[in-house]
Amino acid sequence: MDFYLGLLQIIGVHTILGLSAYVVMLTGQLSLAQAGFFAIGAYVAGMLTVLAGFHIVPAMLVGAVLAGAMAFIVGFPALRVKGLMLVIATLAFGEFVRLFFFNFDYQISKGGITVGPLGGEGFRQIRFFPENGWTSLDVMLFVWAVVIVVMAALWWMDRSRAGAVLRAVGEDELAAQSAGINLTVVKVAAMTAGGFIAGLGGGIYAHYTTHIEHLNFGVILATFAIAYPILGGLSNVFGTLVAVVFIQGVLVEGLRFMGDWRNLLFGALIVLAMNVRPRGLFDERAMALLKGLFTGRGHART
Amino acid sequence: MEDFLFDLIDLVQSIADGLLFGTTYAMIGIGFTLIFGVMDKLNMSYAAAAIAGAYSSIAVFAVVPAPAPVVFLIAAISGGIFGYVIYLLCFRFIPLTSPLATLMATVGMLLLIDEIVVHETDGMPQPYPALFDDVMIELGPFGLRGDLMFVFFISVVSMAVLLYLIYRTRLGIATRAVSQQPVAAQLCGIGLERTNAMTFVITGVLGGIAGAMIGAAVGVLSPLLTLPFTVKGLIVTVIGGLGSIPGAIIAGLMVGAFENMFQFLRGVTERDMYVMLLLFVFLFLRPGGIFSPKAGRD
Repeated sequence: MDFYLGLLQIIGVHTILGLSAYVVMLTGQLSLAQAGFFAIGAYVAGMLTVLAGFHIVPAMLVGAVLAGAMAFIVGFPALRVKGLMLVIATLAFGEFVRLFFFNFDYQISKGGITVGPLGGEGFRQIRFFPENGWTSLDVMLFVWAVVIVVMAALWWMDRSRAGAVLRAVGEDELAAQSAGINLTVVKVAAMTAGGFIAGLGGGIYAHYTTHIEHLNFGVILATFAIAYPILGGLSNVFGTLVAVVFIQGVLVEGLRFMGDWRNLLFGALIVLAMNVRPRGLFDERAMALLKGLFTGRGHART
Repeated sequence: MEDFLFDLIDLVQSIADGLLFGTTYAMIGIGFTLIFGVMDKLNMSYAAAAIAGAYSSIAVFAVVPAPAPVVFLIAAISGGIFGYVIYLLCFRFIPLTSPLATLMATVGMLLLIDEIVVHETDGMPQPYPALFDDVMIELGPFGLRGDLMFVFFISVVSMAVLLYLIYRTRLGIATRAVSQQPVAAQLCGIGLERTNAMTFVITGVLGGIAGAMIGAAVGVLSPLLTLPFTVKGLIVTVIGGLGSIPGAIIAGLMVGAFENMFQFLRGVTERDMYVMLLLFVFLFLRPGGIFSPKAGRD
């Protein structure tokens, strides 16, 4: 039972991570820094609960706000220039964050043991959940409560004017600009929102694994983050959720018997999927088809 | 005062070593920049393919013992093959209307190449042959390492050959025509796909040489090299100005000197952080890079 609860927690946290990349991708940009924002959220929230005795919710919010602020700082200069600059700047920033935490020591003594981040050793003993008597089930429910809040917020945003503006920039920058949309403002706003959401996810991640280290937040995690919305397609937030369930539930868990060949398969699958379905496994047409199956009406609404 | 002088000598020495090693960054940066110039797309797997080219040369070396120059040559050839394979798998069949898909495919390729290398070598660093590694040229208080001089020499020669190819041959004219105006180039009878494929092969060969030179300068090849070289190669392209070859060369030397200086001042674990900070300094102050392309053509 605990195995499945753990799997549900992983799927929840990765859904938040995927959604953080989804927001950025709506504007047609690709951010490889989501793992970095995730790391900032994880370390900040962990330090606040362990060292400062915060409750998890305010700790996560502070971590997310800081991650969002960093996203703003990274996104602003990069997005002013050219879209592809963001890929480079975010890749460099993600590695910068990882190296920062690799070099980051801040330990204090608490109840006879020293706690806090310790460079390459990582940050052990983030024991907010066990100390407050949360069971695996409670943690899982908490994770999914956050997932539902984030998904609902994005779903609502997608239906509002803000969503239309984001998609307009993503579809055709020139047309959006001539309709009076300030491209830099929209892209930086999406980037900041993405950083905030990734920070939230990191905050939960730090607490259910209880031990984080810089290697958790490498380029593989950044690739996972963008792989979800790309595979799931950008038609709505559920595509990302389906992609996370597919990758984490089916591929990662289902292919354990393949040992280290599994990692090889991951890269190959991305290359293959992009050749066969460049607009995502669940693109607009597939989504419309699914919708038609469930509602009995077969026409596309794109 | 004495101590300060010694420190200064060491600092200048590390900057000089960094400049010599920086030619490898310049080569990786040129590869990124050329593909960007021609296709307007990033090939994220380029540095990984460069290192993989060097890896294949030691795989051959393990079967048939060969002198170091032959190993370097094999690295260059397999780099070219890798370039073509990447073109086929990540660019050829993906429609131009989905730029994100191409980018994602090359990221997938980066992971795939990395994992193949880890799988084949069990993640252990592999020794790589070097030339003139026992030579040390003394210049007063400074010394120039023979193997680094060799790396510098080979890199400069290969960059010169590349510049000749691009500015003096028909193939180079075609490549530059495609990078400036693909439609007009096609109207002049230039095969778009053939030119693109050739660009990948040429940059792949350059990458293979870069990979071999990285191996020769570091002394070992390790999967841990791919990501730093990807990041620094991309930083070099941004600092030099996306699409600019002279910019990539100067930025490569600059990044090499800069990182070695900070390795001396702050230690090896913090070194790369300062290179990334350098990128952000450039993004703020001179976002177009040293040789920014003419304004107005986004």
